[in-house]
Amino acid sequence: MLTIRQNLLETIKGGNPDRFVNQYEFLDIILEAPLRTRPAPGGSAVSEWGITYSWPEGQLGPFPVHDDEHKVLKDITKWEETVKIPPLDFPDERWAAAIEHAESVDREDKFVTVFFASGTFEMTHMLMGMEDAMMALYEEPEHMHGLINALTDYEIAYAKQIIERIKPDALFHHDDWGSQNSSFMSPAMFEEFFVEPYKRVYGFWKDNGIELIVHHSDSYAANLVPHMIDMGIDIWQGVMTTNNTPELIKKYGGQISFMGELDSGPLDHQDWDPKVIAEHVERACTTCGKHYFIPCLTQGLGISSFPGVYDEASKAINEMSKKMFK
Amino acid sequence: MQKIEEVKVSVLTGKTKLVAGVVQEALDGGAAPMDILEAMTMAMDVVGDKFSKGEIFVPEMLIAAKAMSKGVDVLKPLLAVSGAPSLGACVIGTVQGDLHDIGKNLVAMMMESAGFTLVDLGVDVSADKFIQAVKDNQDVKLVALSALLSTTMPALGETVAGFKESGISGIKIMVGGAPVTQEFADQIGADAYAPDAGAAVAKAKELVAAL
Repeated sequence: MLTIRQNLLETIKGGNPDRFVNQYEFLDIILEAPLRTRPAPGGSAVSEWGITYSWPEGQLGPFPVHDDEHKVLKDITKWEETVKIPPLDFPDERWAAAIEHAESVDREDKFVTVFFASGTFEMTHMLMGMEDAMMALYEEPEHMHGLINALTDYEIAYAKQIIERIKPDALFHHDDWGSQNSSFMSPAMFEEFFVEPYKRVYGFWKDNGIELIVHHSDSYAANLVPHMIDMGIDIWQGVMTTNNTPELIKKYGGQISFMGELDSGPLDHQDWDPKVIAEHVERACTTCGKHYFIPCLTQGLGISSFPGVYDEASKAINEMSKKMFK
Repeated sequence: MQKIEEVKVSVLTGKTKLVAGVVQEALDGGAAPMDILEAMTMAMDVVGDKFSKGEIFVPEMLIAAKAMSKGVDVLKPLLAVSGAPSLGACVIGTVQGDLHDIGKNLVAMMMESAGFTLVDLGVDVSADKFIQAVKDNQDVKLVALSALLSTTMPALGETVAGFKESGISGIKIMVGGAPVTQEFADQIGADAYAPDAGAAVAKAKELVAAL
C-alpha cells in the first residue's frame, strides 16, 4: 500500500495510485503560524491591514465590513498613503507552536503545508469593497497594478520567514476567483492584472523548497485553468460541479489536478443526508476517474460547516476506493 | 441620432469619464432627454443579456452601470421637469444573518438602470424590516431577496412567509443567490427566481408587467 504522499503523487502524475486521495489527507496544514487576525464567531475584529471583519452569530465565517466608516481604501489613487503593509517581524514565541507542529509531521507520509489567505485578488476587495475593486481595474489600472504588486511583495516577505522557520513542503493558498457560475473577471483581465504577480509569488515559493501548490477557489473558474497552469498551480482545490470537471481532466490532466466536485451547497447543511453524500461521491469518482482528481468537499479547509459531513464524505470516498481500485 | 448612438456605446463600453459630455452633446444637438434615457436603458439591457450569457463579467457590468448613472445625472434636472416614467419601486436586500452584498448590489444597479426606483435595505435584513419598507415606500411593486449561504436560505423562506402573513398585496417577490434554485423558490412560495443580475431585470420587468 502506498503512503498518503506517494498515493497523491501517483494521482497527480498519472501513475498508479492504489486508492483515491481522500480529501485533505495529504496536507498537514500548519494553522498555528502567525498570519492574520480573524474574529471569533459572533464577534468582530480589525485585521493587521485595518480591515474590520464581522462574524454574525450562527454563520459560517467572517465578512469584511465595507460601509463608509470601515472601508480601508476609499480612493485607489491614494493607496500608497492609505494602505499600511503590516509588519512581519513576528517574535520567536509566535512561531513556536507552528514549528512544533511542523516537526511532528511524518514528511514521508504527508506534506507540511503553509496556509496563506487572503490572496491578492481577495485582498483588493477586502480593502476596497468588491465594486470599487472591480471598477478600479478599468478606471485606474496603473494604481491597481501598484497595489497588487505591493500585496505580492508582502506575500513573498511572509514566505521568506515561514520557509526559514518550518521548511514547508506545500502551500495551500486561498483566493476566490469566481462565483458559482462564472469567473469574476474575464480571462483577459485576469491575465492583465493577476497572472504575472502570481507567477512571481508562486515561483518564489517553488524556488524555495515548496513542492506542491494547492490553490483554493470554490467557484467556477474553468476559463482560468490555462492561467492557473501558467502560474504554477499543481492542484486547484474547490472545483465545483459547474466547471464540468471530467472535461477539464481530459483537457488539462497532467498539467494540473482538480480537487473538489463535492459542492458544499447540496451536501453541507443542517439536514445533511449520508445517502446524498454517497451519491455525490459516487458520481464524482466515476465521472472524474482515478487520475488528476481528488474527491473533496469544496470547503476551503479539511472541515465541514456542519458536524459529521466531512467524515461522512471521507467514508464514502473510502467505499469508492474499494469499488474502483480492486 | 448619431449622438444618441454614441451615448449608448459609451454606456455599453463603460466610458465613465466621457459619458456625461456625450450626453450633454446629445442634448445640445436637440435630442430629447427621454430618448437619451431610453438609449441608455437599452444599452443596459444588452449588458444584462451579455452578462447572463457569460460574454461579459462583473467589472464590465459595474462599469456600464456607473456610466449610465453618470449619464442620468446630466439628465436628472430635465427629467424632473418632464417626468420620467418609473417601473415602480423595488425593495431589495440580503436576508437576515447574511452579510454578502455583491450579488445584491449588482441586481440593484441593473434594476435602477432599467427604470425601477430602488429602496436598498443593505445586508442582514430581517423579514420585519422588509415588510416595513414596503409599507413605508410608495409604489412598491417588487421585493428582491438575496441569500448567499445555505445557512441563510431559511431566512428567504421566513421572509416570503412573513409577507404572506402580512396581508400585503400588489407586490411580487423575487429571490436569488448562489445556493438558491428555481425549485427552492417554488418551495418557499416566491413569485420568481433569477440566476444572475441580467436575468433578474428581465424577470422583474415580466413580473411588474403582469401586475
